[in-house]
Amino acid sequence: MKWFDRFLKIYTYIILALMYLPIVVLIIFSFNESRSKVVFTGFTLENYYRLVNNFMVWDAFYNSIWIGVVVTIVSVLLAILMSYGVTRYSFRGKAIVDSIMLVPIIIPEIVEALTLLVFLVILGFSLSPYTIIIGHVAFDISFAYVVIKARMAGYDPQFEEAARTLGADEFKAFRKVTLPILAPGIAAAALIAFLESYDDFIKTFFTRPPGFLTLPVYIWNMASRRGFPLDLNALASFVVIISLVFAYVRRRVERGVLR
Amino acid sequence: MSYAVELVNISKSFGSVRAVSNVSLSIRKNEFFSLLGPSGCGKTTTLRIIAGLEEPDTGVVKLDGRDVTYVPTHKRNIGMVFQTLALFPHMDVYDNIAFGLRMRNYSEADIRRRVREMLDIVRLSGLEHRRIHQLSGGQRQRVALARALIVQPAVLLLDEPLGALDLKIRQHMMVELKRVQREVGTTFIYVTHDQTEAMVMSDRIAVMKDGVIQQVGEPYDIYMHPRNRFVATFIGDAINLVEGDYASPGVVKTSLGDINVPSINEYVGKKVVFAIRPEKILIGGEVSSDLDNVFVGRISLTIFRGAFIEYRVYVDNMEFVIFKPHVGVSYLLLKPGDMVKIGWRREDGILMPE
Ligand SMILES: Nc1ncnc2c1ncn2[C@@H]1O[C@H](COP(=O)(O)OP(=O)(O)OP(=O)(O)O)[C@@H](O)[C@H]1O
Ligand SMILES: [Mg+2]
Repeated sequence: MKWFDRFLKIYTYIILALMYLPIVVLIIFSFNESRSKVVFTGFTLENYYRLVNNFMVWDAFYNSIWIGVVVTIVSVLLAILMSYGVTRYSFRGKAIVDSIMLVPIIIPEIVEALTLLVFLVILGFSLSPYTIIIGHVAFDISFAYVVIKARMAGYDPQFEEAARTLGADEFKAFRKVTLPILAPGIAAAALIAFLESYDDFIKTFFTRPPGFLTLPVYIWNMASRRGFPLDLNALASFVVIISLVFAYVRRRVERGVLR
Repeated sequence: MSYAVELVNISKSFGSVRAVSNVSLSIRKNEFFSLLGPSGCGKTTTLRIIAGLEEPDTGVVKLDGRDVTYVPTHKRNIGMVFQTLALFPHMDVYDNIAFGLRMRNYSEADIRRRVREMLDIVRLSGLEHRRIHQLSGGQRQRVALARALIVQPAVLLLDEPLGALDLKIRQHMMVELKRVQREVGTTFIYVTHDQTEAMVMSDRIAVMKDGVIQQVGEPYDIYMHPRNRFVATFIGDAINLVEGDYASPGVVKTSLGDINVPSINEYVGKKVVFAIRPEKILIGGEVSSDLDNVFVGRISLTIFRGAFIEYRVYVDNMEFVIFKPHVGVSYLLLKPGDMVKIGWRREDGILMPE
């Protein structure tokens, strides 16, 4: 079956190339001197200078980050409470709660965004950054929940009891033992929640007030404009690199979880 | 002198399950005390009540004469080794052992000295910076022991700590536990469902069943004088039981015929269970004609058990289990199908109420 192994290997490389080549090309051409998207004529940082001097970019970046941070904190806190309830207590309808939490991960985002918009309109909300946050939280809480619950389900309350027999009161036992053991799971959940919010376009687009920019929305605005401006490459590269950094940190944290 | 631990009429139910039922125990200082019983009989619950991790429905818990029934766990000065060990996975060996001292705000220099001493006692020196998952089962066991002992608890509670280990290491750890207990001079309360462990290590044993204490005593005492059928069968490798009537002093009438027993007046006229341990029965050439009890039976099975030979002998339709060391009757002389005499001395028999 040697040929099959080789086939698998090549197949894997092709898939990886399909996934990452466009990103690599995008990044390379963000340093291109000419407007061409096919010929690399010379190296320049011009596009990045323009980006740095564009206050709209800064505005969008700032919005993406603060919304991401708020969404992360809210989703993770809610997810911790929900996981605690589901793992430590038994109550009627527990299985249903558990499955409902997974729904946002499964249904198409565009459907979700539309429903969300209709829901907000019916309730008479006027669109604001807070409606964006509500939309993001409703979605990201599922990811945070899945990660934290897995961690909590594996947590043996005897660790806490052991700490108490060794002279720790309940608060100290929670802080010195329970929290550190759960921390990697909570950190992983926070990173996922942040990335999901920071990357999101569709729901943000549907629930934002007019003129409110996040990075993905700004990219869309630029891309949909005619002429496809050059600094778009630079901006997209910037967004991708931040995502990659987070993805890398997440992997490190997860490895910490397994250890 | 007050007892290390006193339980007075402790009961605890979970829903409709009565896990611990009216348990009273007095455990002496520096004693190695075992709670022995089958799975689900309430051993862990009793231990958790002593530790304060569970509150009894009724009854009083005293430590060193002081009523601690409602004192929280961290103020009881007890140590506990859990059934699952519950070593902190996010800390190395050193930090696990140091945990209790840190909770008591010892200086780091003091902690370092004490941890080193403790590592010596449990023979783990050199492993202080290993993570828990890098240790063998026996080593983890010692870390758990060291972590609990370092705060010098008045009582150490151990919940089947050897359960997860294989036979050889378990035998080794039994001796180690006994050695450590002597060395630190602390009261140990040891929970197990393994009667061998209890026999090997304990000064005294409490046998438990369905939440009720059946008998408390020294290993020899419990083995030789079990108070009821449950204790008789639970302790020891095997026992032979025959039901009968205690017709007249010193004689029990059974389906096998009369059995001569020690005379105990309180049983006269009552139904009793007669018991005899496998190693107390003589067989073949060992049986002399003036022995108190002699029966004739047929060997149905011989099993080579290493240190001794196990014979199964049918007398009527009652199968006796008999253990013989290799000296005396040879394994080869007696074969399945052979008719043999078996017998025992009057004073080796055990009498219990029906
Ligand atoms: N938290 C609990 N909730 C409900 N029932 C419980 C709880 N803890 C123990 N029980 C029940 O109480 C009884 C005694 O349990 P316990 O754990 O004390 O037994 P054990 O002697 O330690 O058994 P094992 O040798 O299997 O560990 C069992 O029937 C058990 O099912
Ligand atoms: Mg138990």
